[in-house]
Amino acid sequence: MEKTVDSYRYVDFFTRRVLKAWAAREPRREIPWTPLEKPLEECTVALVTTAGIALATDRPFDQEGERRNPWWGDPSFRVLPRTATEKDVRICHLHTDSSYAEEDLNCLFPLGRLLELERNGEIGRSAERHYSYMGYILEPSVLLAESTPEMIRRLKEDAVDAVLLVPF
Amino acid sequence: MEAAGLSTTTLSMIPALTQSVRVPRLAGIGYPLGRPFGQPHDRGGQLQVLRAALATLESIGEPGERVDLPFEWPERRSDVRIHPEAPSPIARLLRRKPWLLSRLISRDVPG
Repeated sequence: MEKTVDSYRYVDFFTRRVLKAWAAREPRREIPWTPLEKPLEECTVALVTTAGIALATDRPFDQEGERRNPWWGDPSFRVLPRTATEKDVRICHLHTDSSYAEEDLNCLFPLGRLLELERNGEIGRSAERHYSYMGYILEPSVLLAESTPEMIRRLKEDAVDAVLLVPF
Repeated sequence: MEAAGLSTTTLSMIPALTQSVRVPRLAGIGYPLGRPFGQPHDRGGQLQVLRAALATLESIGEPGERVDLPFEWPERRSDVRIHPEAPSPIARLLRRKPWLLSRLISRDVPG
């Protein structure tokens, strides 16, 4: 399959250097695999983003912590209901411009579009709960030991079949 | 998530990096960071990308396979803005202390 996407087209020189170095250093690991057990039209689908999106009524991601220690990033997640729009959320991310998503959340976290696919019968259902992390996490131990298992527990509680991850 | 019995796919604007962490399914898209599904209010475009990303849940048959989606970003590269106005704390720190770049690359996090 032809690879047409230039991963580093829009990033600056230093960011490119860092990202390429990270890619080169990742250890090989086994790839887990769960085939989809039913057609997409019957599946409950959830979205997971790393854009630092939280409901305005929820505790925001900790940006002060990152300002105090630039090597640290908030490893927690937030839950977004399937009906959330840009009017209901705040986006806390110090590395990428979130103004586009503040105008229309669907360009980043398309909950509204997912509901349209549900109405059209293209997916079974949009999950009750969707998830946001904040993607600047250099050291992932808390993410892996605490946040992720808790998110997985909730995904299973909601009978989610398939997850679309969208890094910011 | 995959190991726990959920089928997952990832839509990435930096597929080379995402590929290195060995995700089960990967859809690459040549869009700028911050707008993986397209421009604000472009309903048709966003739906196309969402459909194409979800389709990889069924179309990718080999663990670790990467498929690049055929969508092209309409803006000129020089017009694309991805970073916020204020530099991030780590960017500011590296400007003051550029020798720390090697620590960022090796993820040798202090403390």
